[in-house]
Amino acid sequence: MRNTSWKSQLTSSLFVIPYLLLFVVFLLIPIGYGAWISLHNWDLLNPVHEFVGFKNYTKIFDSNSYLNELFFEGLKNTFQFVVYSVPLLVVVGLGLALLVNALPGKFKGFFRTVYFIPYSVSVSVVAIIWLWILDTNSGLINQYLQKMNLPLIPWLTDMPWAWISLAIATLWWTIGFNMVIFINALNDVSEELYEAGSLDGANRWQRFVHITLPSIKPTMLFVVITSTIASFNIYGQPYLMTRGGPGTSTKVLLMNIVDEAFKQRQLGNAAAMSLLMALIMIVISILQFRITNRKE
Amino acid sequence: MVKKKKWLGIALTAALALGSLAGCSSAKDKDNSEGGKGEKITYWAPFSGADGPRMKTIVENYNKSQSKYQVDFQIVPQSDYYKTVDLAFSGQKNAPDVLIMHTDQLKNYADKNLLKDLTDTVEKAGVKAEDYAETAWKAGDIGGKHYTIPLDIHPLVMYYNKDLFKAAGLDPEKAPTNREEFLAAAKKLTDSSKNQYGFVVPTLWPNQFIFPTLLFQNGGELMKDGKPNYNSPEAVEALTFYRDLIQKEKVSPENVQQDGEVTLFLQGKNAMHLNGPWMMEQWDKAGINYGVAPVPQLGTKQQAVYANGHNFVIPATVTDSKKLDGITDFLKYVAGNTMEWAKSGQAPASKAIFEQSEEFKSMKQQPIVASEFDYAKFAPVVANWGQLSDPLWAEINLALLGKKDPQKALDDANKKAEQVMNK
Repeated sequence: MRNTSWKSQLTSSLFVIPYLLLFVVFLLIPIGYGAWISLHNWDLLNPVHEFVGFKNYTKIFDSNSYLNELFFEGLKNTFQFVVYSVPLLVVVGLGLALLVNALPGKFKGFFRTVYFIPYSVSVSVVAIIWLWILDTNSGLINQYLQKMNLPLIPWLTDMPWAWISLAIATLWWTIGFNMVIFINALNDVSEELYEAGSLDGANRWQRFVHITLPSIKPTMLFVVITSTIASFNIYGQPYLMTRGGPGTSTKVLLMNIVDEAFKQRQLGNAAAMSLLMALIMIVISILQFRITNRKE
Repeated sequence: MVKKKKWLGIALTAALALGSLAGCSSAKDKDNSEGGKGEKITYWAPFSGADGPRMKTIVENYNKSQSKYQVDFQIVPQSDYYKTVDLAFSGQKNAPDVLIMHTDQLKNYADKNLLKDLTDTVEKAGVKAEDYAETAWKAGDIGGKHYTIPLDIHPLVMYYNKDLFKAAGLDPEKAPTNREEFLAAAKKLTDSSKNQYGFVVPTLWPNQFIFPTLLFQNGGELMKDGKPNYNSPEAVEALTFYRDLIQKEKVSPENVQQDGEVTLFLQGKNAMHLNGPWMMEQWDKAGINYGVAPVPQLGTKQQAVYANGHNFVIPATVTDSKKLDGITDFLKYVAGNTMEWAKSGQAPASKAIFEQSEEFKSMKQQPIVASEFDYAKFAPVVANWGQLSDPLWAEINLALLGKKDPQKALDDANKKAEQVMNK
């Protein structure tokens, strides 16, 4: 008896090992190395990396340093994107899931695939497609607006349009993922609950609010957190579509970090900025988790 | 028996996982082992576009032409190029023996003593300054040392749509040469009812080339006494003129997005366009009836044009004399055989080509590019020009989008650049 439990423990640990190895090699070690770099004055072209303790971090909070503006301007812009995109990603994802689920069986698989396809495309393709659609002077949408004698919209060169365009492109690109997760959750909601609900005279909306939403709450939390993290990590869309413009209004934090690392070659500063960014994301995720769990 | 199978499965899973890890580390194995004849010279370049195959041909021809040296040509994608170069210089990767470096990057590496002073090497090999365009050669002089052997200069040039010129009653063989002619032509070529414009003003790239050109033509400088000088009267005049093309003269639409002016040029709705010589192959592919001309003198003082250049440099760590002999032998060969390079639209900085080759002179675009060599100017020789100039492009963007007055935009850009400098 004891022998088996020892063996089963070993078996289960062996199943974990592949993931553990990948986790250590591709996440834990780089993060540790990044933390180490962040404590140094690490110029990429300088062979000597002087240890400076937490100076790179204090510089970020020193309003006289250019790092201060670089970090907080970028953070402000990233935050704006998170605030605009996450509600859309969650609500539209759920909406699409409900819509696709309500379709007759034959079409279900078809539309699920259709909505999921953009997710498998790379960000550069997404950016090019939307650049063509949104072009102020020769894009698809503005051509139609012009035909209808409506004013042209500066999709990528004016605020708030630039954020709207970036949110739309992101939505189109990634919504399939959230949708598929929601579809799975919806399928797990027991039919009996709906039957009981309709017998008690609940209408569609009431069934949705009182049966569907509570049942898929764990999934909802998962989607909210993963969408927030994904939106926080936004880089490719503004880099390729607006180049951070107009001015620096859509220059997000990751763009600034990459510039600091590879344009300015200051890996120490860049590592400190990214660790700080990671910390902020962790705090936000924990807050989201706490808030959702408290309501119970 | 059953148990054994289970263990086998686990072992296989583990082996697979380990195998995939090992695969990552060995994926970098080189496959360019074309026989081991001669001293091997590793050569890096960022030519991941249409220019890559051209350079490859040159290298292959060189390898065939002699048997003492074997040049191993490796292309690193443009977007990753300087990251990879930096890692090589910091000793984390095998460094190349010779590599391409842009003119505006030289100072960064020269300051850190990472590049080889070529003064002696060049003399010994019989490579002479007089064999190259003076502008290109001089850019390699930094702090009393000489670091480069130039490959090309790529200045801003003007492209124009000949069909639109004809339709507007202009001579398609005569591009405008100064501000007055340019404005007059641009107005004639503009028909906003047809969504057609004389000169679509980009709001982002390639203003990194266009704005310095206008500023230099006004007699201004980007840096003065080692400090940013973005808000000089010359700069304000240049930006005001540039912005007026949109707001006052209305020869350009508003709110042009990233690459919007290129799209309109490709669609035949943008009559004149300023960009680099690398755009040629794209126009050819699209089948536009285009002409090439030197950038008109749009500024008030002098003819000038902003340029960047490709140069060969050698890392300071390369000291083996046999290798150095091989590198200089190769570079001497390149200087005489860059016709192939010219085919990508570029003008080689070697006089053997741009001054003496009849084939070169009969080309459409390349001799015009070379005609700008004499007055071409490069980025200020300052470390981290990339980051120092970032605020300038962002503020010019705001001014061109009509969100800021030119004076205010340039004042702000200057303030931010100073802040970056005094970090």
